[in-house]
Amino acid sequence: MNRWKKIAELRWKALDELLSAANHNHRTPRTQDEDGALLVNHWQRGVPVFDEPVVTPTLLFFVALAAVGFTLALVRFFSPLGPFSGMNDAYAWGIWKTFNVMTLTALGSGPLAVGMAAWVFNRKKLHVVMRTALVSGFLFYATGLVALGFDVGRAWNFYNILLPWRWNLESAMFEISFCMPVYCAIFLFFENLPLVLERFYYTGTPERKAFLSMCAPVLRRIYPFMITGAYVLPLMHQSSLGGLLLLAGNKINPLWQTPCLPFLYLLAAGLCGLGFVTFLLLIASLRYSRPLDLGVLGELGNLLSVMCVIFLGVRFIDIIWRGQLHAAFAFDKMSLFFLSETTMILIPAIALRSKIVRETPRSLLRMTILACLGGLFFRFIPTTIAFMPARHARYFPAVPELLMTAGYIALGITAFGLAVKYFAILPGEIKDWNYMFRLVRQRREAAQPKGETQWPASLSTQ
Amino acid sequence: MSLAINRRQLLLGIVGAGGAVAGGLAKSAVAGEHPAHPVAPPDAVGMLYDNTICTGCRACMTACSEANGLPPDTAAGMPLETALAAGLWDMPADLNEKTKNIIKLYREPDGSGFCFVKRQCMHCLDPACVTGCPFGALEKNQWGAVTWNSSLCIGCRYCEVGCPFDVPKFQWDKWNPKIVKCEFCFDQRLKKNQEPACTAVCPTGAVIFGKRDGLLSKAKQRIADAPNRYFENRVYGEYEAGGTQVLYLSNVAFEKIGLPKLGSTSLGHYATKVTSVIYKWLSGPLVVAAVLGAVIKRNWNRHEAERPDREKETGLKDQL
Repeated sequence: MNRWKKIAELRWKALDELLSAANHNHRTPRTQDEDGALLVNHWQRGVPVFDEPVVTPTLLFFVALAAVGFTLALVRFFSPLGPFSGMNDAYAWGIWKTFNVMTLTALGSGPLAVGMAAWVFNRKKLHVVMRTALVSGFLFYATGLVALGFDVGRAWNFYNILLPWRWNLESAMFEISFCMPVYCAIFLFFENLPLVLERFYYTGTPERKAFLSMCAPVLRRIYPFMITGAYVLPLMHQSSLGGLLLLAGNKINPLWQTPCLPFLYLLAAGLCGLGFVTFLLLIASLRYSRPLDLGVLGELGNLLSVMCVIFLGVRFIDIIWRGQLHAAFAFDKMSLFFLSETTMILIPAIALRSKIVRETPRSLLRMTILACLGGLFFRFIPTTIAFMPARHARYFPAVPELLMTAGYIALGITAFGLAVKYFAILPGEIKDWNYMFRLVRQRREAAQPKGETQWPASLSTQ
Repeated sequence: MSLAINRRQLLLGIVGAGGAVAGGLAKSAVAGEHPAHPVAPPDAVGMLYDNTICTGCRACMTACSEANGLPPDTAAGMPLETALAAGLWDMPADLNEKTKNIIKLYREPDGSGFCFVKRQCMHCLDPACVTGCPFGALEKNQWGAVTWNSSLCIGCRYCEVGCPFDVPKFQWDKWNPKIVKCEFCFDQRLKKNQEPACTAVCPTGAVIFGKRDGLLSKAKQRIADAPNRYFENRVYGEYEAGGTQVLYLSNVAFEKIGLPKLGSTSLGHYATKVTSVIYKWLSGPLVVAAVLGAVIKRNWNRHEAERPDREKETGLKDQL
């Protein structure tokens, strides 16, 4: 226990050192913003994590967890749902839907929230963190859709998605089952394409380089249209996720059952999206010893607090409008859930208004964790905890159900851990980028001495 | 500038492609009207159950299982042989994946009295299950019977979440699971001009079949004839969740016998009143796409205009 505490302390210390480095050692030239003010912007472009082992014990742990989840998923494919889950006819939706899809895709809304801030509201600083948002968002959506595939009982009938005359356009479930796969497979995939092609470009033969250089203008031509689609679709399905619950009517506690639920779900997606990208940037920078750019992080924290304020405003106006304020402060079980969820959003909403708080990594990290948890609570509670269908019915996820959920998440973490090492995702400095290339060149030369094509002596079997 | 407009049209085309196809083809675009208080069409059939007449003989349960080819439900976990030896054949505890119709007994906690209640699908005038079903596997069929089509169902179980009466059941122990619910004997009997098995077999007339309008006036006549006999002197199902085609008369509070207290607005109306406006011909998403597209295009053009400077300054290719 002591050892872990010590490690945690060391990490915090490292974080503080990084912070002071970011504040005092101006290793990169200052840049000017629109008003001519001097900025210290340390994050200039995505840089792969290099000089780190690809396979680490942590990675192996997550691979093992994902393998367990996927073995179970394989068995589930040949088995009925009953023995695999704690679901029943009263709680017909388990955590695969309510947590992996309805809750976690809020964290995966970074591409929507950060993207709209950058491209629509013109927060130019945020372009550099888009790739972190895009990759994490893609993984949340992809694993959520896989979870959905194993959750539905008659997946083979999904081909009906190709037959428009069978669509029930008024069903929120249809909207989601159409919109989410399209968004993930076309729009998010497209947004993630440049960072993959970039690696192919830099590692490729001259022919491949020439081909990719030819492709780049085409990508750039359709890019603004694709990102427009990439914001319209999640605006639709993230609100439809809340819309799903409208049909459950008074099975859901009146503190959560409201005609505003779709809008609130959307706001919670924006809140969790911004919060999670900030959180991810902080812990990834900590893990891979990247300097922090507090200009960018502060901007994210600022936007996060704005989202929190908007969310709470809508939430309270709605509750007062429907005359449920007394229920909110009744201090019974549901009221306490409501109050804890609201407090977790209220604290960052207030605290992050302060520039000192949002530009101190430690407090920023704490506030983003609180905001994300608050948003996740809001999205999860009405699906399960405040969902009271019939008397005498109970639901608690079964062990295989939990393991599969953990497996999907572990798969996402594994994929992100590998992706940051192969692709230029995490923001860094240009000098890091150049250093990486120098290093690669040196190693290649060291491995292949001038004029010789044979193996280096160290690898020789003789 | 004309080029920009063309591009915007292309964008609208990309985003709206699915919607355009759907708008032209899907019947739901026309049928997607959910009045708050739907009116039953004149040909709507119904059932009227009066628990002051029911003797609890359960003949309707046997007839239902027979007509629908349902297997016996031999209590929780009891092997069939044991159940048979004990003289028990079909003994479900509630509606489940083997039981589309059930007679339940309600006893007052103080033992002062008891009554029976028949449960099956209520065949709502505007069913939540039909509104939510993504590919229309559940549909409001001829005469208002709510039926299920196995080849359209993906097994998402949204019908179970939506149904205010907890009627649809899912076969949790089957690899090829079906949704099991009363379908008004639609294929089995209704289509052949026969009334449902349960009403046909009922020896006391506790549950009777007829046109909904006729049954409603019959129920109201019974209330008028015996003013203090029935709970709240009203028919359950006349207005509940927008009205149902199965109607109840009871001398015990409806909530006590498992009929939930519901508003008179249909759930389909509540769930779609905003979205049906926003998504009408996809106008909402298209307007949002047009506005966002215009702003993004402007910001993108500026971003691209600054790109050569950025690339020159850093000496590296710009990243997207």
